[in-house]
Amino acid sequence: MKYDALIIGGGLAGLTCGIRCAAAGLRTAILSGGMNSLHFSSGSVDLAGYDDEGELVKKPFEQVKKICRARKDHPYAKAGLPAVKKAMEFFIETTSNAGLTMNHNGDMNHFHITGLGTLKPAYLSQESVFGPRGLEIVNSGGKIAVMNFSGFRDYYPEQTVAYLKKNRIFADRDIVLGEISLPWYMNTQKNMHEFRSTDLARIFETEKYLPRIAEEIRKGAGDATAVSLPAFLGIKNYRAIRKRLEELTGKFIYEIPTLPPSILGLRIDQALKDSFIGYGGEFIAGERAESGPVDSGLLEHINTRNSGIEPVSAKYYVLATGSFFSGGLTSNSQRIMEPVFNFKVDADSKRSKWYSWFFFDAKSHPFLSYGVRTDKNFNPVNEKGNTVKNVFCAGAVLSGYDPVREGCGGGVAISSGFACAGKIIGELKK
Amino acid sequence: MRRIETDIIVIGGGATGAGIARDVSMRGLRCVLIEKNDLASGTTGRNHGLLHSGARYAVKDLESARECIRENRILKKIARHCVEDTGGLFVTLPEDDPMYHRNLIEGCRFAGINAREITVRRALQIEPNLNPAILSALHVPDGTIDPFRLTSANALDASERGAIIMTHTRVNAIIRNGTRVEGVSCIDRKNEQLDIYGSVVINASGVWGQEICSMAGIELAMFPSKGSMLIIDYRINGVVVNRCRPPADGDIIVPGDTVSLIGTTSMEVPYEKIHDNNVTDEEIEVLLSDGEKLIPNVSRTRALRAYSGVRPLIAVSGENTGRNISRGIALIDHNTRDGLEGLITIAGGKLMTYRLMAEKATDLACRKAGVSRKCTTHKVPLPGSEKGISRRRRIKEFSGIPDSVVGSTFYRHGQRLQSIMTREKRNYRLICECEMVTEGEIEYAIKNLNVKDLVDLRRRTRIGMGPCQGELCAYRGSGLLQEYGGASPEESVELLQDFLEERWKGVRPVLWGDGLRESEFTYWIYQGLFGISRPVKIKKKRTD
Ligand SMILES: Cc1cc2nc3c(=O)[nH]c(=O)nc-3n(C[C@H](O)[C@H](O)[C@H](O)COP(=O)(O)OP(=O)(O)OC[C@H]3O[C@@H](n4cnc5c(N)ncnc54)[C@H](O)[C@@H]3O)c2cc1C
Ligand SMILES: Cc1cc2nc3c(=O)[nH]c(=O)nc-3n(C[C@H](O)[C@H](O)[C@H](O)COP(=O)(O)OP(=O)(O)OC[C@H]3O[C@@H](n4cnc5c(N)ncnc54)[C@H](O)[C@@H]3O)c2cc1C
Repeated sequence: MKYDALIIGGGLAGLTCGIRCAAAGLRTAILSGGMNSLHFSSGSVDLAGYDDEGELVKKPFEQVKKICRARKDHPYAKAGLPAVKKAMEFFIETTSNAGLTMNHNGDMNHFHITGLGTLKPAYLSQESVFGPRGLEIVNSGGKIAVMNFSGFRDYYPEQTVAYLKKNRIFADRDIVLGEISLPWYMNTQKNMHEFRSTDLARIFETEKYLPRIAEEIRKGAGDATAVSLPAFLGIKNYRAIRKRLEELTGKFIYEIPTLPPSILGLRIDQALKDSFIGYGGEFIAGERAESGPVDSGLLEHINTRNSGIEPVSAKYYVLATGSFFSGGLTSNSQRIMEPVFNFKVDADSKRSKWYSWFFFDAKSHPFLSYGVRTDKNFNPVNEKGNTVKNVFCAGAVLSGYDPVREGCGGGVAISSGFACAGKIIGELKK
Repeated sequence: MRRIETDIIVIGGGATGAGIARDVSMRGLRCVLIEKNDLASGTTGRNHGLLHSGARYAVKDLESARECIRENRILKKIARHCVEDTGGLFVTLPEDDPMYHRNLIEGCRFAGINAREITVRRALQIEPNLNPAILSALHVPDGTIDPFRLTSANALDASERGAIIMTHTRVNAIIRNGTRVEGVSCIDRKNEQLDIYGSVVINASGVWGQEICSMAGIELAMFPSKGSMLIIDYRINGVVVNRCRPPADGDIIVPGDTVSLIGTTSMEVPYEKIHDNNVTDEEIEVLLSDGEKLIPNVSRTRALRAYSGVRPLIAVSGENTGRNISRGIALIDHNTRDGLEGLITIAGGKLMTYRLMAEKATDLACRKAGVSRKCTTHKVPLPGSEKGISRRRRIKEFSGIPDSVVGSTFYRHGQRLQSIMTREKRNYRLICECEMVTEGEIEYAIKNLNVKDLVDLRRRTRIGMGPCQGELCAYRGSGLLQEYGGASPEESVELLQDFLEERWKGVRPVLWGDGLRESEFTYWIYQGLFGISRPVKIKKKRTD
C-alpha cells in the first residue's frame, strides 16, 4: 500500500484535508480531476453568513454553535464546534505560511463588495479586498473611486456605484468612476477587449508597467483616497504589486471579485497547493478516480482514468469531489448520483422537487443541499447499505447544508476536510 | 396623454403583425404597430420553425399544402437570411402503417410538392444519426425558418419605410364610435396612456384575438391548442426529419442554428390557460421517447430547454362549439360579420404563411382605405436578404477578424453585416461565446431593432441561447444595455435578473445532467458571487 491517505478531489476541502494529513507525517496523495471551485469563487471564506430566516449573521461561530445544536445532519454538527474553530485557525495559519494573509474581523463577520455593489458577509477575506480597513476610510469621510480597465468586458463599475449608493454606509459618500487605459499596450496585443482577468493580471505582474498604471490611477481617481479595481492585481506577486501601487498613488487600493477566472480564488488555490507539496504531499493533477470496489464495506482500491493496469490503494480515502459543478454529483432525468462509488445520496426522488419555481427564490434550490449521505464520522454508505469505514467525505459533495442560502460553502469545505484528516490521523495512531 | 394619428393600426408584433406593417408601408400607407411584449414573443417565438414543404398536410388538407409550398418558394427568395434550405425527410418506422408513404407521395403530387422517394441507404447517408430500422424514406423540400429574425426583419423594413413599431405597449381598449372603430387606446412601458387613431385597425394578436374582439364589444371564439417542444443541445440532424404517418405527437425533429428541436405535443387548453407556458414532466417523456424513435441519439444528448406555444385556432362562423374550427387562414371583416366597420381580424395559418396572411389582411385594409396599390412583398427581399455576400468577399472585407465570427453575424443578419461589423477591435470582440455574438451586433440590435431589455436582445442576437444559457454573457449584456441602450445601472441589474428568471423557465423542466450542472454554476455566480438578490424573504406568487 503506497499511501496512508488518498484524497480524491483537490478543491478547498481536499487540499485542507491533504495538508493536515501531510503535515502530520502521513504519506498523502491528492488526485485532482480538474479545476476546482476556487477558480470561480469570491476568494473570501464564508463561515456562516445568513441564519435560518435569511437575516445577516454578525457572529458566525454563534451561528455554527446553533447549527451544531439544532441540525445534526449538518456537516458543522458532525465536525463539532471546536473542530470548526480549530479548522479556521489551521487554515489562517496555513495560508499565512504560504504568504497569503487572510484577514478576519475578530469573531465578527465583515463584508466585502461584490461586482454588483452589493455587500456580502464573510468570515475571512484577503487583505486586498474592501474589508475593515476600507470601512475605516469610508467612515472617516474618504472619497471613493471605482475604476475599471478600459474595455474589460467582465466588469461594469456603474452598477457597483449605483448599488453601493443604496447602502446607508455609502449613501452620502462621494463616489467617482474612473478608467485605466494603456493604449500603447493595446496595440501590441491581439484583442485586448477580449481579455480575461488572468490576462490583465499578467500586465500587473510586469513590474515596469506599474508606474504607468499608477499614473493612470492617479489621473482617473483624482482626490479619492480609496480606489477599487476588479480583482486582477496579479496571481503571484500580488502583495508587492499592491504595495507598490499604493506607494506610487498614495491611495488605499482594493479589489472587487468579478467574473471567473477568479484571481482571488486562484491565489488561495496556489497557496494551498504550495503548502501541501511543501509538506511532502503528492499532487496528481489531471487524474480522475473512475470507480472502486466497496462490496465488503471497505473500499479496496480505486481505478483511475489513466492508471490503466495498476489500481491505486491506500489505508484511508477521502471523497472530496465537489458538487454537480465539479462532477462530484451527477444526475439523469430520474435521479441524483455519486458517480465514482455510487454511494447513497440524500436527494428527493421526484425531479420536480429538485428546484424552486423562481431562479432567485428566497429559499434557494433544494438541489444545493443534496449530496452524499454520511454518518457522524463522515463515512458514506454503499449501495447495499453498508457503512464504508475507510472512506471519509468532505466539502461540497456532502449533503445537509445549502452553501449559498446559509453562506457557509468555504467554511464547510475547510472544517469537514480538517475533521476528516483528524479522523484518519486518529485511526492510524490506534 | 399622447395621441397619434395614422392610417392603419396593427395590433400584435408576431410574424403576422410585422408582415402586415411591412406590407402596409410598402403600399404607401402610414402604420403603427402595437405589441404588448416584444416582437415574436407570442406564438411566433414558440414553435419549431419548420419551413413546411406542405408535405405534412398533403394527405388531409390540400389547400394548406399548396399554400405552404408556394410560400416556401417565396421565402427562400425574399428571406434568405432567415431560412435554411435544409431539405427534409419523411421516414417510416416498422410500427407505422406503410400505406401512408404511398398516400403521401400521391398527395404531394396533387399539391405540386417535389417529393422524391429515396432508398433507406441514401437516407442514412443524408442523415447518419437516423434510426437505421426505418423502412422507407421520402425527400421533400422542407427547410427551417428563424421566427425571431423573420419578424425582426419585417419590422425593420416597415420602420425604415416610415412605420412606427411600438413594443412593450399594450392595447387595452378599442376606441369605438357607434358602429365604427376609430382607434385603440394603449398603455406604454412607462405606464403612460397613448391613444392612436386610424382608419382601419387590424387585429393580428394571434390567440389573444378573442380578448381584442371583446374589447371591441364583439365575440370571437378561439380554441387554443397547446404544443410543447424540447431543444436538444447540438445540431443532431442536418435536415428536417418527419415521421411518415398522420400528424401526431413527437414526430418532427427540426435543426436550427446550433441546436435541434423535437416537437410537438398537442393539447386543447381552456382559454384562461393560454398564458401557462409550463411544460410537464409527462410531456418531456413523450417528446424524448418519440424523438428517440427517429434519432436514437436524442436521449443521450443534453436537453437544453423546453417550452410551449399555443396555436391560435379560430371558430370562423361565429358559433362557439368548436366544430367548425379552421386550421387554415381566417380573415374576418367585422363589418360583414358583426356590423362593426374599421376592424379586421387575421388569425390561424402558420408562421411560414405569415406573408400570405399579411397580404390578405392588407388587401382588405387597403380596400377599406381606398388604396389600390398591389402587394409586392413576394418580390422584394427583406433587409439583409437582398443578395448573398460570398465567403471570399467576407474574408477579404473583414480580414483579421475570425472567419467564424464574421460568418455567424452574416448568418443572422445577412447583408446587414456591413452596417454591423467594423474592423475596430472592440466592435468584434465576443460577448456571448457560445453563439458568437459580438459587441457590434449587440450595439446594432439595441440601436436599430427595438430592444428594450435583455430578453429582447436575446431574440435579436441569440445572446444566452447556447449551452451555457447566459452564464457570463448575461452580465456583459446588462453592462452593454447601459452603454448603448440608455438603461440606468439599476435598471440594467433588474433586467439581468429578469433575464435569468426567463431563462430558468425553459431550463427548469429539463433540469438534469449538464443542465443541472450549468444551473448550479449560474446560481453560484449570480447569487453566490454577485449577491444579486439577497436571500431574504421575497414573497412572490407562483405564477408566470
Ligand atoms: C462558482 C462558485 C463560487 C463560490 N464562491 C464561494 C465563496 O465566495 N465563498 C465561499 O465560502 N464559498 C464559495 N463557493 C463554495 C465553496 O467554494 C465550495 O463549497 C468549496 O470550495 C467546495 O470545495 P470542495 O473541495 O468540496 O469542491 P471543489 O472545489 O468543487 O473541488 C472538487 C475537485 O474534485 C475534482 N474531482 C471531481 N471528481 C473527481 C474524480 N472522480 N477524481 C478526481 N478528482 C475529481 C474536481 O475536478 C475538483 O477539482 C463557491 C462555489 C462555486 C462553485
Ligand atoms: C407548438 C407549435 C408549433 C408550431 N410549429 C410551426 C412550424 O413549425 N411552422 C410554422 O410555420 N408554424 C408553426 N406553428 C404555427 C405558428 O407558430 C403560428 O401560426 C404563428 O406564429 C402565429 O403568428 P401570429 O403573428 O399570428 O401570432 P403571435 O405570434 O401570437 O402574435 C400575436 C402578438 O400579439 C400580441 N398581443 C396580444 N394581445 C395584445 C394586446 N392587447 N396589445 C398588444 N399586443 C398584443 C402578443 O404579445 C403577440 O406577440 C406552430 C404553432 C405551435 C403552437
